Amino acid sequence: MLWFLRGLRKGVVTTRYPRERDAWTDGLPSPPAFRSDLLTPTLAGRLVDACHSGALRLEGDELVLDLGSCGGCGDCVRLGGEAVYRSGEFELASRDREALVKRIPLGGAG
Amino acid sequence: MNDELRLAGELRERIDGLFGRSLHIRTFDSGSCAVCESELRLLSSPYYDLHRLGLFFTPAPRHADLLLVTGAAVRAADAALRKTLEAIPEPRLVVAVGACALGGVFEEDELVHGRVDDVVPVDVYIPGCPPSPLALLHGLLVATGRLEEKVQALSFDLRREAVA
Amino acid sequence: MIHAAAVLLVVGGGLWLGAALLGTLARERAGLLVTAGASALGGAAVAAGGTLVAVHGSGAVHTVGAGNLVGTVTLRLDPLAAVFVAVLGLVALALGLYVPRYHEPGAGSAYYLPALALAFFASLVVLVAGNAVVFLVAWESMTLFSYLVVLRHHRRPGVGRAAFLFLALGEAGFALIVAAFAILATQTGTLDLAGIAARSGAVSAGWRDAAFVLALFGFGFKAGLVPLHIWLPEAHPAAPADGSAFLSGLVLKLGVFGIALFGFELERGGPAWWGLLTMGLGALSAVLGILYALMERDLKRFLAYSSIENIGVILTALGGGMVFSAYGQRAIGAFLLLAALYHVVNHGVYKTLLFLEAGVVEHATGTRDMDRLGGLIHRLPASSVISLVGTLGIAALPPFNGFVSEWLIFQGLFQGFRIGSNLIGILIVVAGASLALTGGLAIMGFARAFGIPFLGMPRSRAAAEASERGQPLAGPGLLAAVCVALGVGAPLALTVLDRVARATSGIEIHSRLLLPQLTVIPAHTDFAAFSPTYLAVFLLCVAAVPLLIYLAGRPRGARRVVPVWDGGILDFRGTMQYTATTYANPTRVTFEALYRPEFHLERASDDPAGRSGPVHYRFQVLPIFERFLYRPVVRAVEWLADVVRPIQSGDVNLYLLYVLLVVIVAYLIYTY
Repeated sequence: MLWFLRGLRKGVVTTRYPRERDAWTDGLPSPPAFRSDLLTPTLAGRLVDACHSGALRLEGDELVLDLGSCGGCGDCVRLGGEAVYRSGEFELASRDREALVKRIPLGGAG
Repeated sequence: MNDELRLAGELRERIDGLFGRSLHIRTFDSGSCAVCESELRLLSSPYYDLHRLGLFFTPAPRHADLLLVTGAAVRAADAALRKTLEAIPEPRLVVAVGACALGGVFEEDELVHGRVDDVVPVDVYIPGCPPSPLALLHGLLVATGRLEEKVQALSFDLRREAVA
Repeated sequence: MIHAAAVLLVVGGGLWLGAALLGTLARERAGLLVTAGASALGGAAVAAGGTLVAVHGSGAVHTVGAGNLVGTVTLRLDPLAAVFVAVLGLVALALGLYVPRYHEPGAGSAYYLPALALAFFASLVVLVAGNAVVFLVAWESMTLFSYLVVLRHHRRPGVGRAAFLFLALGEAGFALIVAAFAILATQTGTLDLAGIAARSGAVSAGWRDAAFVLALFGFGFKAGLVPLHIWLPEAHPAAPADGSAFLSGLVLKLGVFGIALFGFELERGGPAWWGLLTMGLGALSAVLGILYALMERDLKRFLAYSSIENIGVILTALGGGMVFSAYGQRAIGAFLLLAALYHVVNHGVYKTLLFLEAGVVEHATGTRDMDRLGGLIHRLPASSVISLVGTLGIAALPPFNGFVSEWLIFQGLFQGFRIGSNLIGILIVVAGASLALTGGLAIMGFARAFGIPFLGMPRSRAAAEASERGQPLAGPGLLAAVCVALGVGAPLALTVLDRVARATSGIEIHSRLLLPQLTVIPAHTDFAAFSPTYLAVFLLCVAAVPLLIYLAGRPRGARRVVPVWDGGILDFRGTMQYTATTYANPTRVTFEALYRPEFHLERASDDPAGRSGPVHYRFQVLPIFERFLYRPVVRAVEWLADVVRPIQSGDVNLYLLYVLLVVIVAYLIYTY
């Protein structure tokens, strides 16, 4: 009985997703987003070494991010300074596996 | 290109019509660490409440519309996975959930395939390690065509997005 | 019509005697066929004769020999007995059709088939006997020939003991029956059954009571009334399939006939407590019979216990009828007699069928153990359908015959409120409630007895390789057709049985029982009404609806055929399925206080890591009656024999002393 009254007091707690997104979801683990102009090859190399999941790799003059491997741990964000941000994106489902592989061109000097 | 778009649109309409209000999901654990399963369990909680969207979990493949596979597709589970998919009547969908299922964690060797689409054809991939329940909801709704894919349009390059 | 019936019975009996003589030719295939054919023809004639007498609705008496040692030897055609005669004939016909494909020609058959034919003949004489001595002689002959039938495979272990148990308890019952007849004969001064019936009203109540109780227990030994039943589960598996069918289909019914003879004809109008005693023992037999049946893995032992249950149902109905008649509700009493007779006929048909099918299963697979069978519906399709008809009949599911007779019995018992005494009314309803319990347990038991052997996957190689070639189909098939006919054609059967009830009890209920629209109104009250015939038609139509929906709505596109979903198990073996023991486990747990099973469990090792060896699990239900009733009695007799044995010393001088003593005592008695 008490749970019923408690529930009435709390009100409806169900999320309205997908119609609305609750504010707290901005803090969910998410893949990194890059400032390609600030992304130097050296930094990129350090980011690749730091990624535990192997989601980041260097291919030529591009930094390849495989969303399929990324766990959203945020180590590359902490390491990358201005160049790497939390993307805040978690709606990443795709019909095409290749669409989950993102290529970031390397810019900047050094 | 126009033909493809038209066909894709027809397919989506057909799936919408079939699964719009009621989708029964059968899960299959193909060697996962069970964290993806924890996130799936949360979908039944009052906060996420998948039933309000017309999604249901069912243990019987005969009653299912969608096969949801987690884990890196260990070879020992091959036959069971194929049997489960075979037992689901058409029209059906297959969704691979989590980094393991997408091939992002394990390399192929004598014990695992490494990716689920080595064993069964996959319709929708949901990345994450683990994907949060909201990501799962998004992925399931994309599979039934009730939501649009977003990731294709994202470049994860802030400068380009700022410019564009 | 009655003459035609008499002629048919004589012809039938003669054919059976002929079959017995010809049976010695059964060492050859041709001889076997001739014997079986004669037996079957005799059965057909007897069935027709019995039916004619029942339809005719009144009896006749024919004197054979006059004024010899045993008084006038009369044969009587009595409608009550005619029902049992018809069952006898039908059973013999089915067995005659069954024999050629079941038995091999040889010395065994040359001994067995004459014994069976003579058992038929003796049963017929029991049913048409008009004189107490003829009855008793025929009864004893029937017991002896049945004993020979049970002993067919006497070299197999356990058969000798089973046959001995059958004979011993049969003799115990016979002693009581002789005592009952002796009491009536001396009190009424005649050995003629019609004479006894006419004069028994004048006998004092004490003697009448004694005679009835002796008859109830004496015939109860043969009928399989609890606690006199322990020979049944032993003798049925020991006998060959058609022998077991004969035992269950007919011999048990002769016990019922004896009780009905005493209760409704020889000592009509008895006090209510006779009926209550019969009803109480009947209800007890019904419940205990099905409870023990559920613990059996052996098909034939299961069917044997099920026979005990059905006999309990029949006797409950008979007892109830006696109670109602004693309290003045004679129409309901006649109605319950009619329902009991209907159940006698039905049980004769479907139990015979089920035992014959058990024989087919044993023949095809080599085992009767349900836990070693499975999937037989694919290997033995026709036999499965026939078994299913019999199973549906005995589980009392509409529109088959078992449903109609059990439903009528219930309707009759539920009229208990019409009796003035509240206590008696409650007791009757309690009996009805215990029948309801047995009905539910019987459905479970027969779902198990049909489902485990016939459905699913085979649990052993023998079951997987069974073949229907060369298995008998005609006999069981005929009985299956009769099952359906008796169910759908229930109004017709009730018309005939009503004439029998009227002849026996003097009450006519036909006009209140059966409406012209083929509707049955049981117990002639406004309690309920239904029509088995219309119900059958209705069920067929209702079954057509989903079929039509499926045909109309079938997807037109390509179809994909995939295996049955088994949980994704890669190597699904038959031994992973439910077994008969596990299916009945809820019952075992619920009624543990009754079963008190003993468990034995042996493992290769108690260490969980070492548990890869075989596990032996054995459990045995406590045999209450053997241990607490019979063993003490046997021990007491043995003790008494030990006490008395010194008399038989072997010393001739002592014997001469005995002679001298007896002469002195006799002289003293004579002079004083």
